[in-house]
Amino acid sequence: MAQDQKKTVTGGNTPKPPARPGGTSNQSAKDRSRAQSRPVSGKAPAGKSGKATGAGRPKPGASGTGGGNKPRPGGRPAPVAAPRRFSGAMMAWAAVGLVIVVVAVLVVVKVATGNSAGNTSYTPVTAAPASVVKDVTSIPASVYDKVGVNFPAAAQPVSPPIKLKNQPPLSIGGKSPAMLYYGAEYCPYCAAERWGIVAALSRFGTWSNLKITASSHTDVYNTTHTFSFHGATFTSPYLTFATVEQYSNVPVSGGGYTVLENPTKEEQKVINDGQQFIPGATPNQVGFPFINIGNVALISGATYNPGILAGLSWTDIAGGLNDPTNPVTQAVVGTANYISAAVCASTKNAPASVCTSPGVEAAAKSL
Amino acid sequence: MRTLRWQPIVTLLLSLFGLGVSIYLTITHFSPHALVCVSNGTFNCEKVTTSAQSEVFGIPVAMLGLFYFVPMIALCLPVAWRSTDRRVHLARLILSIVGVGMILYLLIAELFIIKAICLWCSSVHIVTFVLFVIIVTASPLVLGPESGMVTADGYDESFEGA
Repeated sequence: MAQDQKKTVTGGNTPKPPARPGGTSNQSAKDRSRAQSRPVSGKAPAGKSGKATGAGRPKPGASGTGGGNKPRPGGRPAPVAAPRRFSGAMMAWAAVGLVIVVVAVLVVVKVATGNSAGNTSYTPVTAAPASVVKDVTSIPASVYDKVGVNFPAAAQPVSPPIKLKNQPPLSIGGKSPAMLYYGAEYCPYCAAERWGIVAALSRFGTWSNLKITASSHTDVYNTTHTFSFHGATFTSPYLTFATVEQYSNVPVSGGGYTVLENPTKEEQKVINDGQQFIPGATPNQVGFPFINIGNVALISGATYNPGILAGLSWTDIAGGLNDPTNPVTQAVVGTANYISAAVCASTKNAPASVCTSPGVEAAAKSL
Repeated sequence: MRTLRWQPIVTLLLSLFGLGVSIYLTITHFSPHALVCVSNGTFNCEKVTTSAQSEVFGIPVAMLGLFYFVPMIALCLPVAWRSTDRRVHLARLILSIVGVGMILYLLIAELFIIKAICLWCSSVHIVTFVLFVIIVTASPLVLGPESGMVTADGYDESFEGA
């Protein structure tokens, strides 16, 4: 064989190098597999000659004899398996599971640490200082008339109430005309609206037992300084004013606020019946505040942005109500003019001194 | 390529729903009075949508939702699911991963910073998560070696290793 390899061949085919255990790259896969199956030993495979050809090397040409081509009993050794990898589906579900675990951990941590709203401070309800009440209930008529329904200094205009048509006069407790306020002490929109209500109704009657407080410390427009109607009374020869402050501003663990009072059945009916007139309202979710003025007009939510009161104390707000150029004054007095116009419509323009004033008449035209 | 049966239509419908809610939240971000939502201690849409966390780099989160769902709708169209271009399926997968990463951030903000949950926002979060689940679990079908996908350079990987 070595001699064969040293021969110089001209033309024709290049002689193949001798077969070695494990085969060569020129062999087919079949031949390679067959070569790999032969034992490495000193004995030749069983065949006609039966002669040994030397240790470790198959005899040249031996592939043509019998025995070497016979498949070995027991089959070929299994090929080496490729390393097993995670399937794409397993990885996909693992990713989904990871997200679920992360969300679950967040929720568990949140629940375990508790709802911190229960520990948040709140502004207690106290008696309204006489000076604050005086400033709000004694706004000069000239200021009402100058403001009218023009709000050039306000960032956003005051929204007029929703005018109702062809509705019977509102009666509460057998008294008519009546006005109903339904809100909550925590509510920032109620906080804004109460300034206008107190100012407006002071022109039709007398307030007593007014309290001051502030809206929720954690809600939007937090800590808006305001009054509370819980326990307050309003007396007037012209109309009856019923108030329901359903929730306080004291947070409870788990969310929500303590309940102060619930509307009577009659009041609840007024609230429910009014929802049909409020755009976007749903029967089971009444927005705060809800104000029905004699079944002439409705207010749902605040008529102006409570943000205008941000950072202002009760004294700051009340003390500036003499200035018609003050944006807070324009918002509060503009709201009061709208409310006054609706009250006048339900009281048949009584008292005339209020109902025929330029500011209220301007608001009435805008309703 | 293996056939996807329900994934295209479901992902398309979810994306359309998500887009609709995102449009509504974008409107209410600029007009809070238009928001109709439950408001109590735990659920307070307005508190969430007007919080400092409602904007990322000055962009309202609701608008980011628009930027997410508009391309997602395009990528979830049946013709996109049937595409033999691997890049389409990769883009859909990457977008879904970005979306779920964003909702994890928003969930942390709601639970631990704002301390209130917006139900409208949560509906978008749920839609985004479901999209993620469907897209990720369908990815082996559309991106695996037997998918018959053609790579950007035209190499047909379905014959690789045969």
